[in-house]
Amino acid sequence: MTTDTTTRPASATPSWRTIDLMTTAVIGVVFGVAYWGWSSGYTAIETAAPVIGAAKGLLGGPWLIAGVVGGLVVRRPGAALVAETLAAAVSGMIGTQWGATVLLSGVLQGLGVELALAFFLFRSYRVWVAMLGGVLAAAFEMLYEWDAYWSGMTTGWKLTYLGCFALSGAVVAGVGGWALTRALAASGAIDALPAGREAADDRSP
Amino acid sequence: MTVRSWQRLRAPGPLSLVAGCLVPVAGTFAIDSALEGIIGLAAQVLALGWLIRDVRGTVLRAAVGFVAAAGIAVSTWLYGGRDLGEAGMAACRILYLVLPSSMLLPLLRPSQLGDHLAQRLHLPDRGVVACVAALQALDAFAADWRTIQHARRARGLGLDGGPWHRLKGSGATAFALLVVSMRHTGAMSVAMDARGFASATDRTWAEPAPWRPADSLLLSQAVLLAALPWLLH
Repeated sequence: MTTDTTTRPASATPSWRTIDLMTTAVIGVVFGVAYWGWSSGYTAIETAAPVIGAAKGLLGGPWLIAGVVGGLVVRRPGAALVAETLAAAVSGMIGTQWGATVLLSGVLQGLGVELALAFFLFRSYRVWVAMLGGVLAAAFEMLYEWDAYWSGMTTGWKLTYLGCFALSGAVVAGVGGWALTRALAASGAIDALPAGREAADDRSP
Repeated sequence: MTVRSWQRLRAPGPLSLVAGCLVPVAGTFAIDSALEGIIGLAAQVLALGWLIRDVRGTVLRAAVGFVAAAGIAVSTWLYGGRDLGEAGMAACRILYLVLPSSMLLPLLRPSQLGDHLAQRLHLPDRGVVACVAALQALDAFAADWRTIQHARRARGLGLDGGPWHRLKGSGATAFALLVVSMRHTGAMSVAMDARGFASATDRTWAEPAPWRPADSLLLSQAVLLAALPWLLH
C-alpha cells in the first residue's frame, strides 16, 4: 500500500484513501437504516392499495439512492456498488420482508449505477449521469424481479412496472441523490472528498 | 451424539448463514404451482427450523414476509387473470425467498461476518474493516438522531403538527444526521490513519474464522433447498 495517495489529485487516482472507504461505508449504513424505514411504508402502501397495480414501480426509486449518492460523493469505481450493497444488507439485517435476498437487489442496483458512471469514464457527475444511474439501477433490479416477483403478471404489466420504476429511479434516486450530494457538499461536511472539494473550490476560488 | 457436538452443529458460522439465506433463492424460479410451493416451504422449515434460537426475531421477520406475500397474492389475482392458483403460486414464491432468511438472519453477527469475509474469502481487508466500523457506529447514529431532534425541539422546530409537518421534520433531521455522520467519518478516518490503518501490512482480527462441520451441513442443506423445486418440477 503506497503512502503517497493523498498527494495526488483525488480524481486522477483510483486508489482508495481511508476516508473514501469510511465515507462509502457510512453512506451505506445510514441509507440502510432509511431503506428499512421505507420498507414499512412501502409494504403498507402495497398491501393497503393493491389497485395501484404497476404504478407501484413509482415507489421503487428510494431504494436506489444510496448507490447514486455513494458514487457521486466518493467518485471512485466501486463506491456506488459498495454503498448500495451495504445499504441493502443493513436493511436486511435489521429485518425487512425480503430477507437476505435484498443482497441480490443491492448488488444489481449498485451495478446499474456503476455502469452509468463507467459510461462517462468516472469523469462526469452531472445530474444527467445521476439520472441515468437511477434508470439503469431500476433496469438491473428488474432482471431479478421479472421472474422472482412478478411471475404471475402479464408482460404488459411488467413493462409498465419497469417504466414506472425507471422513472422513479431517475427522479427520486437520480435528481434526488444529485441534489442531496450538492446539499452535503454545500454544508462543508465532505470537503475532504471530491464532490466536496469541488464545491469548496467554487466557494473560495 | 453428545450434547456438545449437537450444540456445535446448531451454531453455523456467518458465511454459511448468508449462503443458507441466499442459495435457496435459486429454487424460487422453479416453483410452478401452489402445491409445489407448499411442499418446498415445508421442506425449508424441516431443514432449517432446528437452527432457530431467536424465536421472536424469526416470527417477526416471517410475519412481514407473510404480509408481503398476501399483498403479492392479491395483486397477482387482480392483474394476473383472476386465477387463485396463480395467486397462491406467487405468494409461495415470495415465502420461499424470505423464509430461510427469517430463520437464519437473527443468528448473524456483523462483526463476525467481517472477520470471516476478510480471513476466509480474502475480501480487501481495509474495505471490510471500514464496513464493520460503520456498522458499529449504528448506535452512535441513533444517539445523534435523538440529539438533533432535541435541538430542533429546543428551537421550536419540534415534530408536532400534522403528518406533512412531521415528515418534513424527519427529513430535516435525516439530512442533519447525514451531515453529522460525514463530519464524524472524517475525524474517524484521520484517527484510523494516525494508527497506521492505511499502511498496515499485518492486520490482526478479533476472532479466527474457522469453517466447521456445521457450516458444511448448512451449505449442503441450502443446496438441496435450491434443487428441490427443480426436482419436483
